[in-house]
Amino acid sequence: MNSPIDKVFIEPLREVARKLVAFLPSLLTGIVVFAAGLLLAWLVKVIVVRVLRLFKLDAAFTRSGVSDALQKMAVKETPVKLIGRTFFWLVTFIFFILALKVMKVPVIDQLLENLLLFLPNIFVALIIVVMGWLLGNFLGRAALIASVNAGIKLSSQISRGVKGVILVFAIVMAFEQVGIGRTTLVVAFAIAFGGAVLALALAFGLGGKDLARTYLEKRFKKDREGDGRDDLRHL
Amino acid sequence: MTPDSVPGPAASGPGQLDELGEVDILVGIPSFNNAKTIGHVVRAVEVGLNKYFPGRRSVLVNSDGGSTDGTADVVREASADFDSILLEHRIGGFRKLVTPYHGVPGKGSAFRTVFQIARQLGAKACAVVDSDLRSITPEWIELLVKPVLEEGFDYVSPYYMRHKYDGTITNSIVYPLTRALYGKRIRQPIGGDFGFSGRLASFYLEKNVWESDVARFGIDIWMTTTALANDFRICQAFLGAKIHDAKDPGADLSAMLHQVVGSVFDLMEEYAGAWSAVKGSEPVATFGFVYSVGLEPIHVNVDRMIEMFRLGVKDLGPFYKAFLPADVLSFLDDLAARPDRRSFTYADGAWVKTIMSFALACHRKDVSREHIIKSLTPLYLGKVASFVNETWDCTAEEVEARLEELCLAFEKEKSYLVERWNGKA
Repeated sequence: MNSPIDKVFIEPLREVARKLVAFLPSLLTGIVVFAAGLLLAWLVKVIVVRVLRLFKLDAAFTRSGVSDALQKMAVKETPVKLIGRTFFWLVTFIFFILALKVMKVPVIDQLLENLLLFLPNIFVALIIVVMGWLLGNFLGRAALIASVNAGIKLSSQISRGVKGVILVFAIVMAFEQVGIGRTTLVVAFAIAFGGAVLALALAFGLGGKDLARTYLEKRFKKDREGDGRDDLRHL
Repeated sequence: MTPDSVPGPAASGPGQLDELGEVDILVGIPSFNNAKTIGHVVRAVEVGLNKYFPGRRSVLVNSDGGSTDGTADVVREASADFDSILLEHRIGGFRKLVTPYHGVPGKGSAFRTVFQIARQLGAKACAVVDSDLRSITPEWIELLVKPVLEEGFDYVSPYYMRHKYDGTITNSIVYPLTRALYGKRIRQPIGGDFGFSGRLASFYLEKNVWESDVARFGIDIWMTTTALANDFRICQAFLGAKIHDAKDPGADLSAMLHQVVGSVFDLMEEYAGAWSAVKGSEPVATFGFVYSVGLEPIHVNVDRMIEMFRLGVKDLGPFYKAFLPADVLSFLDDLAARPDRRSFTYADGAWVKTIMSFALACHRKDVSREHIIKSLTPLYLGKVASFVNETWDCTAEEVEARLEELCLAFEKEKSYLVERWNGKA
């Protein structure tokens, strides 16, 4: 006969113990999978770093200004180490999820499923931001050189503007990819961008009309009168 | 290729290359919408060939890039009035050939067609002349062809007398650098009008460059450098003054620099083995009677050039840090800060190091190659401004002497380039 104490305390405890014992193999498997994952993650990191160094990517990152930019953002590690570390955490994360999956906990299963479905979007969004940043750097520098060669005094501002616009574009696209405030962001960006263009147009149109007139007059006068012209033949 | 063969000065009609048989001399004229000027060039070539090579079989090849202004018709119809030009009108085996070229549009592709025809016709000596020349005379043909035909030279580079401020890219970069690299004093390595042997034409054809920038615009420096680096016999011919239509007046200076300097740097990669051991330089044989031309005053806006230099040093300074050495950077900062135009002097040593550092940056593939070369523009303008400052009151001879100093500075500093090129420093 079961006493009330048995019913209230002992049976539930036994039930818990039984469930724990039944769960133990899954837990152990999960721990083993995770431990193996950690080991593999470390291996992947080492291999990735070595391969990248073999292709001299560290020097390439230094030349392209990536290392400088990271230092400016207070990142002390080299880009190659950073990529290695990213791979480490990526593999660790995958194995962590695998370990949780092995443990077969229904709630976690559901959560993981949602997370896994979302992961590609995050990955694509990250790639968009990185590509945008690299493209912004490249085109910003191209704009800087072209405007300096054209003798424009606001060259660095133009360069920063080009870089900034491309980066903002990339960030908006990344947010759009992960579905954060999709409509709001697009509308906000369109309004801000349109507003900026309008403001610039007004500023140039109203504030710079005299300057524009002087410039045009000077330019056409130059062409007519030959004032300030170079007769040099470079080739 | 289906060229129109036009035998004799007056006749015209379609024909094939085979009908021409073998020729001794071939003169090529690349063209694209040059109807206004090409007639004079064709007549000069025809008279030159008849006057100086009367017993030789010769052909004029017009390699055209699809002109729509009737250039081909002008070539077909152009004919010299021999009775008023030559005392004795000797009829030689002169033919005209008008043919379109194929491939990448540009002077290089036009030349390739000329080389192909030269090989097919077994030409012993060839010359190419620009179709926009206004100062070409029949003597140019003699001077470009005779050294090949009678003296055994493979390549004849032109030597023109130009205004002291004409060809500033040639004077400040291409001539001194090419001379220091390959050790031969070719004064106009990108002159545009050349003489060469049939053997060299065949050698050019073997090179796999016809889809690259060489086919577009880098053909002049490529021809000179290829001849230099492959030990062909080289000389130069003094052709007098060169007057031609302005090359696209709206052309962007940085694009020009990118094309010309980029081609020189590319060739440095290809022929590193040929130039790294060369020390000093030697003159090459020069044909023709050298004389100087007058120096009519021209307008040069030095202040604007200095302003561009200052802007470049200020805004591109952080970019230059990626590949210019510290002493050059500090020199540039110092020069940009000088308020007085008269004290604006871009020292030869610093200029040589600047150019060599740009070449090294392209070699190491530091950053984008196009960005590196285009960022040279403000510094180049600084050097030109400095040169104009220094030589404003100089005669043509004094300017040449000044250029000689610059060339010697390039030769002296060559070890700086060689050591870094090979990664030893």
